[in-house]
Amino acid sequence: MLSFLMPARRGSGLGMALPALVLLLAFFVVPVTLLLTRSVTEPQPGLQNYETLLGSATYLRVFGNTFLVSGTVTLVTALIAFPVAWLLAITTPRLAGILFGIILLSMWTNLLARTYAWMVLLQQTGLINRMLMAVGVIDQPLQLTNNLIGVTIGMVYIMLPFMILPLYGVIRKIDPAILQAAALCGASKGQALRRVLLPLAAPGIASGALMVFVMSLGYFVTPALLGGTSNMMLAELIVQQVQSLVNWGMGAAAAFILLVVTLILYALQLRLFAGRGV
Amino acid sequence: MSYLHINGIRKVFGDVVATDHVELEIAQGEFMTFLGPSGSGKSTTLYIVAGFQDPTAGDIRLRGQSILNIPSHKRNIGMVFQRYTLFPHLSVAENVAFPLRVRRMNRAEIDDKVRRALALVRLDGLGERMPAKMSGGQQQRVALARALVYDPPVLLMDEPLSALDKKLREEIQHEIRRIHQETGVTILYVTHDQEEALRLSDRIAVFNQGKIEQVGTGPQLYASPATRFVADFVGDSAFLSGQVQDMTGTGATLRFADGTMLRDLPLHGAGRPGGAADLMLRPERIDLTPGRGREGASLPVTVEDVTFLGNSSTISARTPWGEVLAVRLTFGHPLLGQVRRGDRLTVQWQAQDAHAFARD
Repeated sequence: MLSFLMPARRGSGLGMALPALVLLLAFFVVPVTLLLTRSVTEPQPGLQNYETLLGSATYLRVFGNTFLVSGTVTLVTALIAFPVAWLLAITTPRLAGILFGIILLSMWTNLLARTYAWMVLLQQTGLINRMLMAVGVIDQPLQLTNNLIGVTIGMVYIMLPFMILPLYGVIRKIDPAILQAAALCGASKGQALRRVLLPLAAPGIASGALMVFVMSLGYFVTPALLGGTSNMMLAELIVQQVQSLVNWGMGAAAAFILLVVTLILYALQLRLFAGRGV
Repeated sequence: MSYLHINGIRKVFGDVVATDHVELEIAQGEFMTFLGPSGSGKSTTLYIVAGFQDPTAGDIRLRGQSILNIPSHKRNIGMVFQRYTLFPHLSVAENVAFPLRVRRMNRAEIDDKVRRALALVRLDGLGERMPAKMSGGQQQRVALARALVYDPPVLLMDEPLSALDKKLREEIQHEIRRIHQETGVTILYVTHDQEEALRLSDRIAVFNQGKIEQVGTGPQLYASPATRFVADFVGDSAFLSGQVQDMTGTGATLRFADGTMLRDLPLHGAGRPGGAADLMLRPERIDLTPGRGREGASLPVTVEDVTFLGNSSTISARTPWGEVLAVRLTFGHPLLGQVRRGDRLTVQWQAQDAHAFARD
């Protein structure tokens, strides 16, 4: 008899989840509470850390940069990822396997190496500028590093797999006969995309977008290397406050704001796409 | 001039010929069924009419005009698929309204047409429901409403009932018949189920290996099958193998293994004296008698097995040369319930019910 493994009644199966709960408590709830506490106690008790962060133009610009870059990265990533995911879903298993290999290989390559590679490609005398000049599109090299353009390009590249995979997940489940039905109903390719394919892929777009946006909000390496000091993003601000200025309260407040924004976005997504898979 | 003309359609995938010289003229308002086993080319032909595939050769003409160069979404053709293809994110009413929305009709007209289409398939009042909350039968009704709401000149149906259980299938077959009568729409219907084909169709085109073997009404196909394949596929049948002895103007003489001869049989296919040929007899078109039987249209048999089925019995009868054929005795037959294993009796038939088919 295995009845001792079965919950005797509803709710008493909680015992099996206990180790996981303890782990969550120790490594998530406690640190977050400590973080919150530090943000309102250091250097002295009060909400002045939050007042400074949300009240001064300098810090607001950091938030502005962060949201602008994260938003742009999310949008561009989605635009590139959708056709790629579509191709993966409809192509032969062989070609899909090769494409997946390429995507995963880029994901598994060291992050720093990839970011440095972009620095080389994007710099004034880099491959991209030289090619554009050789073709004659531009006379002067474009400023592609040390600004938010560079950050956006570098981050789109890094975030692509996180958008492609959930999109592929939903698109693969769409029966091609549904699109044939749409066509016979009179829908042009554009109408079928807008009225059928996009709505059906929406849960995948939403989870991919949430993932990319949230990861972008707190991203450090790429903004630090490709962004330059005048275009600081939130993660760089936190590092600066904690490492250089040893202002733990300020860093904690910034991190806590980031967490709250993330949770709000997550709650929104749950609300909009509850029960729709992914 | 025919309404829909499927003109010499040939489709080749790589080195596989999916359909070859498919030629059919369909009248306006006709219910035409493509009947055949899977891989016989019936669905390929339908997909070519829908515009999902281009033929290698041939033409599709609607009211005399070729539609091959018109993309699917502009052909204005309706279709119900084998799988459930309702848009899962739209309600029933929105699904039915979809073809009208993409045609940019005005709101009032859309509402009116959707209401009438849902009434036609007897789903009035379920417009707000989501497809996932409906049974398979209801989903196919919605699909039917969606395919008919824009008054297409032709409605294509690709095995729309194959995912449903038998009882529901019969119920929806009734509905399809009624809807065909009420709307007068021209229907091309694909199925591998001969009963469904016989029940629904005005005419049936029997497909085999990419070609049409025979086109005709159900009774025509049943009573005078043109090929052995049609005889086998439409209705029940037994085949007794023999050899063509000689051929005259009135028919062929077949000789069987023990020397039994049957004369004046209508022979289908390219037969020649000495070539192999099969005699086809249908279980319900042959009679069992204790007497001597009809001259030239009877055989002495030994009863092998009796299966009682309530209002009928099926009897396995062995011919003198050892082949077995089935005989069906229906309610009221004097021998029903009387036949025992080992009985020596005679099977007899009407001359027009025996068909011989030459083997290639």
